Amino acid sequence: MLRRSVLAGVALAGTLAAAPLAAQDAQEYTIGVAIPSATHGFMGGLNFHAQDTIKRLEGVYPQLTFVLATAGNAGKMVNDIEDMVATRDIDALVVLPFESEPLTSPVKAVADAGIWVTVVDRGLSQPGIEDLYVAGDNPGFGRVAGEYFVDNLESGSKIVILRGIPTTLDNERVEAFEAALDGSGIEILDKQHGNWNRDDAFNVMQDYLSKYPEIDAVWASDDDMAVGVMEAIAQAGRTEEMWVVGGAGMKQIIKRIMDGDPQLPVNVTYPPAQISTAIEMTALGLVSQTPVSGRMIIGSQLVTPENAEQFYFPDSPF
Amino acid sequence: MSDPILAIRNVSRSFGPVQVLFDVDFDLRAGEVHALIGENGAGKSTTMKILAGYQPPTSGDVLLDGKPVVFDDAQHAEAQGIVMIHQEFNLAQQLSVEENIFLGRELRRGPFLDHKAMQDESRRLLDRLNCPVDPRAKISDISVPNRQMVEIAKALGRDARVLIMDEPTAVLTARETDILLDLIDRLRAEGCAILYTSHKLDEIARIADRVTVLRDGHRVFEGPAKGMTQDAMAEAMVGRELSNLFKPKGKPQDQTVLEVRNLGVAGLVHDASFHLNKGEVLGFAGLVGSGRTELMEGVTGLRDATGTVTVHGKPLKPGSIRAAREAGLVYLTEDRKEKGLLLNKGLTENLTLLALHKFTHPWIDTAAEDRALTDAIAEFDIRAGDRNMKAGNLSGGNQQKLLLGKTMLADPDIVVIDEPTRGIDIGTKQQIYDFIVELAASGKSVVVISSELSEVIGLANRVMVMASGRIVGEVSGDDINERTIVKLAMGMTSKDDAA
Amino acid sequence: MSETTAKTWMPSFHVLGPLLALIVLIILGASINSNFLSYGNVTNVLARSAFIGIIAVGMTFVITAGGIDLSVGSMAAFVAGVMILVMNALIPSIGVTVPVVLLGMLTALVAGFIAGWVNGVLIATVKIEAFIVTLGTMGIYRSLVTWLADGGTLSLDFDLRGLYRPVYYDGLLGVSWPIIVFALVAILGELAMRHLPFGRHCGAIGANEQVAKYSAINVQRTRIATYVLLGMLVGLATIMYVPRLGSASASTGVLWELEAIAAVIIGGTALKGGYGRVWGTVVGVLILSLIDNILNLASIVSPYLNGTIQGVIVILAVVLQRGKKTDG
Repeated sequence: MLRRSVLAGVALAGTLAAAPLAAQDAQEYTIGVAIPSATHGFMGGLNFHAQDTIKRLEGVYPQLTFVLATAGNAGKMVNDIEDMVATRDIDALVVLPFESEPLTSPVKAVADAGIWVTVVDRGLSQPGIEDLYVAGDNPGFGRVAGEYFVDNLESGSKIVILRGIPTTLDNERVEAFEAALDGSGIEILDKQHGNWNRDDAFNVMQDYLSKYPEIDAVWASDDDMAVGVMEAIAQAGRTEEMWVVGGAGMKQIIKRIMDGDPQLPVNVTYPPAQISTAIEMTALGLVSQTPVSGRMIIGSQLVTPENAEQFYFPDSPF
Repeated sequence: MSDPILAIRNVSRSFGPVQVLFDVDFDLRAGEVHALIGENGAGKSTTMKILAGYQPPTSGDVLLDGKPVVFDDAQHAEAQGIVMIHQEFNLAQQLSVEENIFLGRELRRGPFLDHKAMQDESRRLLDRLNCPVDPRAKISDISVPNRQMVEIAKALGRDARVLIMDEPTAVLTARETDILLDLIDRLRAEGCAILYTSHKLDEIARIADRVTVLRDGHRVFEGPAKGMTQDAMAEAMVGRELSNLFKPKGKPQDQTVLEVRNLGVAGLVHDASFHLNKGEVLGFAGLVGSGRTELMEGVTGLRDATGTVTVHGKPLKPGSIRAAREAGLVYLTEDRKEKGLLLNKGLTENLTLLALHKFTHPWIDTAAEDRALTDAIAEFDIRAGDRNMKAGNLSGGNQQKLLLGKTMLADPDIVVIDEPTRGIDIGTKQQIYDFIVELAASGKSVVVISSELSEVIGLANRVMVMASGRIVGEVSGDDINERTIVKLAMGMTSKDDAA
Repeated sequence: MSETTAKTWMPSFHVLGPLLALIVLIILGASINSNFLSYGNVTNVLARSAFIGIIAVGMTFVITAGGIDLSVGSMAAFVAGVMILVMNALIPSIGVTVPVVLLGMLTALVAGFIAGWVNGVLIATVKIEAFIVTLGTMGIYRSLVTWLADGGTLSLDFDLRGLYRPVYYDGLLGVSWPIIVFALVAILGELAMRHLPFGRHCGAIGANEQVAKYSAINVQRTRIATYVLLGMLVGLATIMYVPRLGSASASTGVLWELEAIAAVIIGGTALKGGYGRVWGTVVGVLILSLIDNILNLASIVSPYLNGTIQGVIVILAVVLQRGKKTDG
């Protein structure tokens, strides 16, 4: 709670500093932002970046008002969006659909009413509704990690994979990872679901370690899982034997890469800050003539000790 | 004599290694009330259950209209017009009276339930029993005697040719019993065959045409009821002479152990004051619902109450049954199945529950518990086939003895016994009466609440009479007689008439 | 007397059902993978069972007394969160020292005590259905920990973790602490259930609250005590949990309540109350952990079907013990 007020103070200072720069445009706009609530690390980071960006933009553009709503399920998100249109008279909507199917027609209704629509991360099930699409690159996320494995392991090396919660997203990542490994001679010993959860990943990794006497590397595919995996490896005393690649750029992991931890050579980004990109571009489109419609795919980048600093957000909860 | 509608011949029945019936014959004829009497555990329930199709005999025949029959289950027997009215109510607590009466044979109009018709028919059936209950009332909201009436109405609604009644009057008041016996008269006149059991031998003498007596699973007597005295019935049941049910009363000492002043329980008991002396048996008489149980629950801390309770000169902490127990005051409930015993648990666990602290130092001493059970079995003559059986499998009388043993284990000075002999046989009754008299003689004090006037009259040194939540009179000495007590209980009298 | 003893110890299916299921699983595991019975794997499985196990022992008392507690998973996450915040906050004043860890442990026990007491009072004194109360507190604790962590993860200070770490990873004579603590809790729980008035009273209240009341048992206080005990055991489980990963987040302890309840029921405690056995609960916990472990070691079925296999085994274990119950 102490931390919260500190954060608020920092944000406020930023606002004050930015205020004098604001343009003095008379036309006022309202932007609605609908995102899932912070139920796990990645969404927590996404919530943080959304709030942070909104605070900053409100300072930069006094003529903009933001309405932020977080939802724990698709039904609540639909209600939130309907309320925004009916009572807040929004000019633009930035939405990260909780699920694609149920959100498609409500968002379409918003677009049909002439309101600017920006869709983030998860596409709607019908193409062409949104004016702007901003998303991370799931196949790229798997491919970049896979390419690192190919470049840094010899043929005949043995690796294990920890998968996320069974979803399309997880399938896309794992398929791209396996495709990148094709023909390299690297052997995938096992792939089980760790459900993007530290405890589950810890248990799965413990069992891998009992089962396989020789493991050269682990693709944990998520930083929360990487934390559990490394703990299990440390317990088994096999830290020297293998390295671990997580994903998504959790600040503690990035910090360790910056510090050159041999067990964590690299990371692959899937930035929660993509919500900032979406909000920022939407705002830009409203207040200026800058063309912003289209598709924007934020590539998954390889984080190495050399470039880690630019991916490090110490204030983010993620 | 007409041919029997339903009969059993040479029927034996065993449960595992234990044989409970030996070559029993029994007939039910149209237009006849056949009483089946015997002590608890004599085999009455088993006989009735075989007749009503709940259990098959181990050997022997069931004859329906002279032909051997094997009932698949009770539904099969019911389809043949044989209906049993249980002592333990088979009513769905959360359903209405009407829904219970028509359970499983609901009247319909098209696809919908015809509530109107079912309510009218229920009303008609209940009217025959002079029972004023609203057919729409929920069972859980009506009194225990009314539930018994609903159970009977349910059987009547099934157009029974043979009606098997297992102690239907155990929970009824005298007036309600009269109505029921009149109804049985009418059913008999209509040609119904009726099996009737009761521990109240005066009812048997009044209603029965024939009597069969069971003792230890054997039929020891069968013959016309006419000319058979209640004493003769009792002796046939017990197999020994019951010269006098009650031992002579003891003499209380002149020392007050319990003093209750202006006790009130919201809406149920008003301004009740009384005292109890050392070595005294104090009777509480009154109609069911007159507030006797509620008063005593207020005294012993089971209900919130106003007023003061003083035990051995010290005020008792209100609302704490534990404080009452520590002061030596305990209450033995009238409802042994719902409030007295854990029916699904063993005998030991039940026996020591109230006085568990005596067996704890700091672990529960199971060996001492086991010895306590041995002692209780000997002292209270608890007849349990197996020490490890569940309390719920004991007969009613033995459950009552176990409950008595549980209560006495707390080593109380003052014992409040609510309906000490409800639903138990005459032999056990006498044992319990003897026990109460001995208890008082040993310097303990006893309060006896009973709806059986003979019990209060036979045991109490003094009798408090309650009506509508108030103590309306106190009688002692030669005034303890049926006439005085009933007049007080019915509110027909002034103080001087009673005195 | 001798008759009594003979009866009690007669091996019946009803009593041994869960134990048989456990033995079958062990044989199955050993035949699938030679590492199954290795020291490392056995230690892993037992240590990881400890959190749910410690909680399930407390849950046995709650269920035996006719109650239920759905909030334990969220409660564990909340207690872990509070514990981490308190320890991190103490470092500037006390430094990275053992007292900080001890104060953190105390915090966990006190937080568990309070959380259990709140549940107990709402259920026993205010008389709201246990299912509703704990469904409510389940949501409350879960959202509180999310809020404390700002939607992210609360992490214990890195240096302090180094100090605290041995509580999960080290042990005595090669047996790790969580296993020792779990074993102690189970033994004490079994003794309390069988040989203390408290256990007897729980069974009586669960079997028939009226009879318990008329037998001078303080029903309200005993009921609250079951929830307080469970809350404190959640605190104890958390003390063992935090050093493992050094963090708490909104996803900590998800579904622990269902695992704990399932373990209790598999072990032969009656869901409607009135009868409970702690050793059965321990067997139930081990069965649940072994299923996961064997599925990970075997990789013969699609991991998508893990839930199905767990469900089937859980139902089978309960069916086994019901097999001969009709006789009783």
